[in-house]
Amino acid sequence: MGTTFLPVASIVSSAGGRDGWMIVLPAFILGIPYGLMVLSLLSQFPNKNLLQVSEIVFGKGIGKLIGVLYILITGYFGGLLLGQVGDIYERSIMPLTPISLFYLGTIILVFYLCKSGIEVFARFSEVIFPLIILALILNLTLSISRIEPGVLLPILSEGVMPLFWGGLKVAPFVMEYILFMAGILAFLPTDMKEIGQLRREVWRAVFLVGILDMFVAFTQILVFGPFETTRIVYGLLVLGKMVEVSRTVAGVESLFLGVWLGALVIKISAFLFTVVWGLETVMNLKGLKWEIAVCAVFMGIAFGFVRGSVLISEISFVDNYLILPFTTIWILGLWGTARWKKGKNIRGN
Amino acid sequence: MRSWMKMLKELTLRPKVHQVRKSPAYSFDEDLAKPVSGQKAKEILSKSSDIVFREFYLQGKESIPCLMAGVDGLVDKNLLDQFVLKPLMVDLPGRRELAQLTLSNVVDSTIQYLLPGLEIKKISKLSDAINAILSGDAVIFFGESKEAIVIGARGWANAGINEPVAESVIKGPHEGFTETLRINTSLLRRKIKHPSLRLISLKLGELTNTDIVVTYVDKVASPDIVSEVLKRLSTIKMDGVLESGYIEEMIEDFPYSPFPQIAYTERPDVLAGKLLEGKVGIMVDGTPIVLVVPAILTQFLNVNEDYYQRAMTAVLFRFVRYIGAFIAVTAPSVYIAVTTFHQEIIPTDLLMSISAGREGVPFPALLEALLMTIVLEILQEAGLRLPRPIGQTIGIVGALIIGDAAVKASLVSPLMVIVIGITAVSSYAIPYYDLSLAVRLTRFPLMILAGSLGFFGVAVGFYAGLIHLLSLRSFGVPYMSPIAPMRIRSLLQDTFVRAPWWAMKRRPQLLEIENPQSGGKGKE
Repeated sequence: MGTTFLPVASIVSSAGGRDGWMIVLPAFILGIPYGLMVLSLLSQFPNKNLLQVSEIVFGKGIGKLIGVLYILITGYFGGLLLGQVGDIYERSIMPLTPISLFYLGTIILVFYLCKSGIEVFARFSEVIFPLIILALILNLTLSISRIEPGVLLPILSEGVMPLFWGGLKVAPFVMEYILFMAGILAFLPTDMKEIGQLRREVWRAVFLVGILDMFVAFTQILVFGPFETTRIVYGLLVLGKMVEVSRTVAGVESLFLGVWLGALVIKISAFLFTVVWGLETVMNLKGLKWEIAVCAVFMGIAFGFVRGSVLISEISFVDNYLILPFTTIWILGLWGTARWKKGKNIRGN
Repeated sequence: MRSWMKMLKELTLRPKVHQVRKSPAYSFDEDLAKPVSGQKAKEILSKSSDIVFREFYLQGKESIPCLMAGVDGLVDKNLLDQFVLKPLMVDLPGRRELAQLTLSNVVDSTIQYLLPGLEIKKISKLSDAINAILSGDAVIFFGESKEAIVIGARGWANAGINEPVAESVIKGPHEGFTETLRINTSLLRRKIKHPSLRLISLKLGELTNTDIVVTYVDKVASPDIVSEVLKRLSTIKMDGVLESGYIEEMIEDFPYSPFPQIAYTERPDVLAGKLLEGKVGIMVDGTPIVLVVPAILTQFLNVNEDYYQRAMTAVLFRFVRYIGAFIAVTAPSVYIAVTTFHQEIIPTDLLMSISAGREGVPFPALLEALLMTIVLEILQEAGLRLPRPIGQTIGIVGALIIGDAAVKASLVSPLMVIVIGITAVSSYAIPYYDLSLAVRLTRFPLMILAGSLGFFGVAVGFYAGLIHLLSLRSFGVPYMSPIAPMRIRSLLQDTFVRAPWWAMKRRPQLLEIENPQSGGKGKE
């Protein structure tokens, strides 16, 4: 699930206006064929990540080139996400605390999580996920009193084309996970029964996250209206700020931020993992010093980058113009070529 | 520099085989491997005044001189007089076999025709004879015979069976383990009267020769866990094992973690319950504390009384304990974070009251909380080591007099006293002392993080603790299971809630056990 719920409403409402929430689930569903393609490559090339598979299918040169692109894109994006942590905390609840402390605290957590291994990472996500769901549900239900249903009408007044363009802006979210799946593939079970289970999980995860994000976008549009939703980058944080129960419980966004931090740690860790796996596969660089080096690069990107709306624009840019085209072309090409080669071998035999 | 590094390595890295305080070499070490000899045994043991030797002739035959040895105070003298010495010394006419006694057949004939006792064993090694004598048995040597007889005649004074102070219950059995291993095994056997209950005896400690019993229920405990326990115990090489705590540190997976990875109990019913769940017990002679492995975090927040109460009541008590543990960990740090960084979270009326209370207090909230927590730790430690009546006085002096005076002197705010008080009371809701200690330890870094980074610091500390807990394993079982990896059935059956007995159809999912059906009252 990562942190898609933070910017999703702003993105879809900028493209689709008041109807933007409708495109969230269909755009997420785009992830299903890609997830299934990756899993089909798992059964064809067991215990290998897609960088290794690329070297086998496309040849060493092109495989290495894809690997370098994979490292650069995921590394840069991981650094931007680290920057987002500092940005969120500085802008919302702790403006006077040096932003470097947020970077440092988060990167220490990320490093510790990655050092503990992929199994601990999976369990960490397993614990945090219900907390995220709970926080989202609380956020959404406690905002019901501020809902104005009229802002949704008239439905589809601009036609369906804006929704199509909005879908293209949400699709990169799914591709971020596909990039992570490409790396984690080497650790997944290769038994046919378990691959079947993984396929079912892909469906389940896409629908669960898609429906939740759709509700997040839906609620924000209902509360703020489409124009304000587009303008507020972190609408969910503002929603958290507005939560009030009988004038006793108020201003609890700092508590929600604790949960969002968990989500961000998961996402940054996922990208740290991808870079580390990429370095190991492509350049045979492994060990503690390289993991520390990647963390240092993340810190450098976070420190070096401007904050606020420019940071969000940069994240959107990487999502739309790097992650989306790279992943769609790479996975589709790899899957197609692998199928073609497999078919040729069978016919040849 | 290199020697410093070596010393640091020795102190921090745990070896695969634990050679701790090796015992010195003795002149009789070589003799111990030789066949039994009464003379040799006497030579080795006669320098200790508590070892008693009794020389006599078997059935009055001067051709068969005998020597009986035992430890005064450990052997049951009445038993030896009535049922060992009397039949061996007094001639019983009428049995043909006894008339033909010679040194070559004396041991077998004595066992078959003369000794009426139940625990009688033939041995041939001197080391076995010495171990038996020092463990409280009596040994009879026959002239130059290469064999001897061990008579189970242990009969020392013991404290008796009492209710454990640290694990008292309102509803449930009130008996606890004692310092005597054999009594403890008998208490366990009374709970599980089935041949599948296994008790494997070992000896640990080169000088103490402490008896250890590894116990489990066959086909219920995972064979992998049983063999892992035996393997880890076999790596311990030290001069003395005086308490189960010695073993605990040697066999746990992560020695530098503050969290307990091995459970313990002083209650036979608790041990029996854990064995029926597929766990393995380690009993050590000389202590009533029995170790139970593997252990998971949630187990430390559940007590056996939960299973004796009605399910709904047990759920309520568990909920209270979990909330208590959460408050014990987070209350001071949340208070510090809220008063220092996030005042917006506090309702205005309460904020005014807090501000009024803090007026005149010269310290920041972090220092105030640290100070109070340290004072609380000192009071707890002082109360624990003092005799009980004085310990209570310390509590009154600490809580009422010092606390009240500190507030009046504006050294601390009244709300801080309340927060620390609630924290202390909440930590008492944690039933396992070891976990309570871990909670007390983790409180300090959380407070410092809260004081310097507010809720961000609390979240960082909380997540770091969570990652640490998730990386722990106890004998291969993830410490945080069944929360992560998530086992929904275990969570609903016997973790945060306790399902009624009829619904607990399967044993805990986290252990790979051979027989998952509980065989309890559950319907199939």
